[in-house]
Amino acid sequence: MSVRGPFEYIGKEVRAGFDWAGGISLLLGRALVRGVQRPWGIYDVFRQIVALGIRSLPLSTLMGVFVGMALTWQFGEALMGFGAKNAVGSAAALALVRELVPTLMALTIGAKIATGITAELGSMKVSEQIDAIASLGADPIKKLVWPRLMASTVTLPLLNVYGNVLALIGGAFIADFVFDVPAEYFYETYIDELYPMDYISGLVKSFTFGLLVGLIGCYQGFQTKFGTEAVGISTTNTVVATSVAIIVFDFVLTTIFLPVG
Amino acid sequence: MAPIIELRNVYKRFGDNIIYEDMSFGVEAGETFTIIGGSGMGKSVCLKLMIGLLPYDAGHVLYRGKEVGDMNAEELRELRRNVAMVFQGGALFDSMSVLDNVTYALREHTKMSDQDMLERARECLDMVGLGYDKDILYRMPASLSGGMRKRAALARSIAIKPEVILYDEPTTGLDPANIERIGHMIRKLQKELGVTSIVVTHDMPIAWKCSNRVAMLWQRKFPHIGTPEEMQANPAPEVHEFINGIYHEDQD
Repeated sequence: MSVRGPFEYIGKEVRAGFDWAGGISLLLGRALVRGVQRPWGIYDVFRQIVALGIRSLPLSTLMGVFVGMALTWQFGEALMGFGAKNAVGSAAALALVRELVPTLMALTIGAKIATGITAELGSMKVSEQIDAIASLGADPIKKLVWPRLMASTVTLPLLNVYGNVLALIGGAFIADFVFDVPAEYFYETYIDELYPMDYISGLVKSFTFGLLVGLIGCYQGFQTKFGTEAVGISTTNTVVATSVAIIVFDFVLTTIFLPVG
Repeated sequence: MAPIIELRNVYKRFGDNIIYEDMSFGVEAGETFTIIGGSGMGKSVCLKLMIGLLPYDAGHVLYRGKEVGDMNAEELRELRRNVAMVFQGGALFDSMSVLDNVTYALREHTKMSDQDMLERARECLDMVGLGYDKDILYRMPASLSGGMRKRAALARSIAIKPEVILYDEPTTGLDPANIERIGHMIRKLQKELGVTSIVVTHDMPIAWKCSNRVAMLWQRKFPHIGTPEEMQANPAPEVHEFINGIYHEDQD
């Protein structure tokens, strides 16, 4: 292998990364420009919210309850060592509301939504349905990307609120039954610890994750090449891209919100 | 008279794969123009260039003298209202019923009432031989056979009454009776409504029966264009072998 080999490889990968980011930005720009033009496709957006959001409720329920229970248990064990188990509500509140619920919700529900979008649009691309939409005089970005983008951006913050409530219930259950901290006391210390900015930072995170999830799902779907194997490849790429994007943006948003909070 | 659709000195490639080099031909209004040629040579690409679904690298693709590549979104929309395409696999929208599929373009381009759209959908499905099934309007594409999907897709393309219809292998996968029916429909649309048809096919009987002219894609352009009689009498070996399905073992 020549000396140039690794550099060429790195160069290719970097270029592919820039191409990808450029393509995604272009898709976002087009979706925003065309989406806000009449007709707004409100019916399509609501249909997608039902398809992406309501069907994610069982998994969101499981996620919220178990994250709340697991984190409260972990904190409870650690705090018991200092004889401070009564502070478990205060300790769990910030970690759950600011970080764990929005991020884990995005990594699981978000990945589910994104892969669903990619698989659907990828299959439509392979079977020429996207071309058919264009050939019938409609705009595939307006018809397919805009409703999914809106739905995922609205859905994830809503699921985040729902997840927060369930995480609190799960935490209160563990506090009461495992550590003998009354659920009412857990609730009071939990709520007292939180300021509006904590909720806002969690919601801004899930809003951003929702946008990323919809965007990556749609982009990968539209980028699908030919054949059913290509749908599988696109879907796998979506999981990787969504997870990386969520983790990176989580760090960026945390660094922005921490000084504010 | 200027052709309704004209491709002039067109170049198109996908990466290293060159599809067209200096390719030209024109289609007259009201004629049925059939494109034949080997699989994978880019016959379908030609149709997609005509309605701006694919960009071309150089040359001119003209619809009524207007450059398709320079059209803005509104002009493209108008072009696609007048030039419909029937895709190879049907490309029906899986999430919609047959009724919603067939009336899709009507909802996009017209303000027809639901009742009028329903009647138009029935009329179109009758034309393609699906009118016998009273429930078909409300069936989902997944519950249809391959042939039915193809015919429902044909109904979708004619619903808006376009002036040009592009058919991408319209008879592939159909039984002989339905192949004949599609051929009859293409001729009927041409005779009664003056519809221009551009048909990509491997089905030579249909090509001979329906076409005013036949063009053969060979070595990235269309060197052989003529009436069915002219093409059948064409002495060029590639034409003779293709239309007669002659295979030489030494070609492997």
